Amino acid sequence: MKQFFSSRAVRRFTRNRLALVGLFFVAAVGLTALLADVIAPYNPLAMDFDALLSPPSATHPMGTDVLGRDLLSRVLYGSRYALLIGMGVVVLQMVLGGILGLVAGFAGGVVDGLIMRAVDIVWSIPGLVLALALAGALGGGIGVMIIAIAVTGWGQFTRLLRGQVLSLRELDYVTAAYALGASRTRILFRHVLPNTLGPVVVYTTLEMPAAILSSAALSFLGVGAQPPIPEWGALIADGRGLISFAWWVSTFPGLAIMITALGFNFVGDGLRDVLDPRFERRI
Amino acid sequence: MLVPTLIGVTAIVFSLMHVSGDPIRLLFGPNVSEEKVLEKRAELGLDKPIHVQYWNWLTRVVQGDLGLSIHVQDRVATLILARIGPTLELTILALILTVVIAIPIGIISAMRPYTIVDNVSRFVALFWVSMPYFWLGIMLMMVFGLRLRLLPISGRGGPLWTVDGLRSALLPVLTLGLPPIALFTRLTRSAMLEVINEEYIRTARSKGVHEVIVVVRHALRNALIPVVTLLGLRLPWLFGGAVITETVFAWPGMGRLLVNAVMERDYPVVQGIVLVIALLTVLANLVVDFAYTLIDPRIRYG
Repeated sequence: MKQFFSSRAVRRFTRNRLALVGLFFVAAVGLTALLADVIAPYNPLAMDFDALLSPPSATHPMGTDVLGRDLLSRVLYGSRYALLIGMGVVVLQMVLGGILGLVAGFAGGVVDGLIMRAVDIVWSIPGLVLALALAGALGGGIGVMIIAIAVTGWGQFTRLLRGQVLSLRELDYVTAAYALGASRTRILFRHVLPNTLGPVVVYTTLEMPAAILSSAALSFLGVGAQPPIPEWGALIADGRGLISFAWWVSTFPGLAIMITALGFNFVGDGLRDVLDPRFERRI
Repeated sequence: MLVPTLIGVTAIVFSLMHVSGDPIRLLFGPNVSEEKVLEKRAELGLDKPIHVQYWNWLTRVVQGDLGLSIHVQDRVATLILARIGPTLELTILALILTVVIAIPIGIISAMRPYTIVDNVSRFVALFWVSMPYFWLGIMLMMVFGLRLRLLPISGRGGPLWTVDGLRSALLPVLTLGLPPIALFTRLTRSAMLEVINEEYIRTARSKGVHEVIVVVRHALRNALIPVVTLLGLRLPWLFGGAVITETVFAWPGMGRLLVNAVMERDYPVVQGIVLVIALLTVLANLVVDFAYTLIDPRIRYG
């Protein structure tokens, strides 16, 4: 963590213009989520039968939907769902995958073999397909969807942490700690875990947009957030049948998803340059 | 290597049915007598221990029997066979598009690193991976189908070798193919940058070998290994994308069948499709493993 706040890292991050733009996007979406009550001009669930499907105008900057609800307000409130769902997925994945990765790396042998085999197995079923089938089987809804995405996508964290542990435990300072009589638990929590933080922070930031996109896709397909919840994927699904006469209903929620995902991707890309120069460049 | 993976995958697919609740209740709905349930349970072997059930199911699956659909009076295998062609059509075309576009652009931006072309392609790549592509599909549909009236907005116009078939496939293939193109352009670039400064490249150049031959025969061949690896890892993602793309464009493939089956809780069909997609993924990864040996003769599988 110390490394994270050292001025050199911060300087390198702030020199990256794309990363700063990303930070701005993320901050804007975060503030929107916090202040949705204050800044939304209308109640996102209030219907107005005198203004059904009215195009973007001064009174409704993003227009209204098929029930006359103000789309801007719905999109603003949607940021709460996107961020909370995304965080829920990433935290679950991190806990589940992280623990398995730490165990695999530290235990080695048969345990390691079994855990990594499990990763391979889950990976050979496309995540979205399995999450869709699982969320559908469990009856859909936001909570179910979060669980479905998390249990199909923890493998990356397992690989990451296992790799970290394997390389860190060979380092001299760990050997020294052993020689001084430190217990395995102490070494794991005091010496190894804190040093995995850099890559974990990078990976978590990059996993956030992936989680937001997957959850929007599942809601779009109908197994995630249910109406009248103004979740972005569900909003796009609402507008899908209307594109020939009401382009705005699907367009704006999609832009919101894109700005959010773009923000996290830019920040993650910038953090990777700063925190983990050895990390394989995915892009 | 392959066998444990297959056992694990089939176990996951098998358990999907049980996660979704009592299969008998799914089959008959809520209004059914207790005797009927017990009778049917014995008939289908659902009263046996779970590992016996799994084994029986697996034996049938290996023989190509995926069971019966709950909602449509048809065999799951028949339903899937009718839909698998259009899905493969989309995914394979998207894959070809990716390779044909991404690798040349990747090479060009590696030859001119940190120039405007390179920076623009980095930005565009991050941009595309942030795009929800069900939304991208709808936007393409709106612009090219409804505004410009250039292309049909949904459905499959016929076989690919007909004009209608090609026209109707264009938007779905673009929707599925554009995000991976962005990704692979960047990957090809970084893989090329890694090899282009190697000594053997300098040697080849100093011998007076033509630049095109240096790039294609000496550099690209070595750069291709990580590209092919990621291509294999990304294939499952393409099948996931196909589920969404088919739903958006009303494309009559497996993905749309899957979404409908999930909605109708027709779990034998869901199981069948997830299994077929998983098998296709495993198969694709095998192909990738063999592709390694073609690119790099030093890699041999025993």
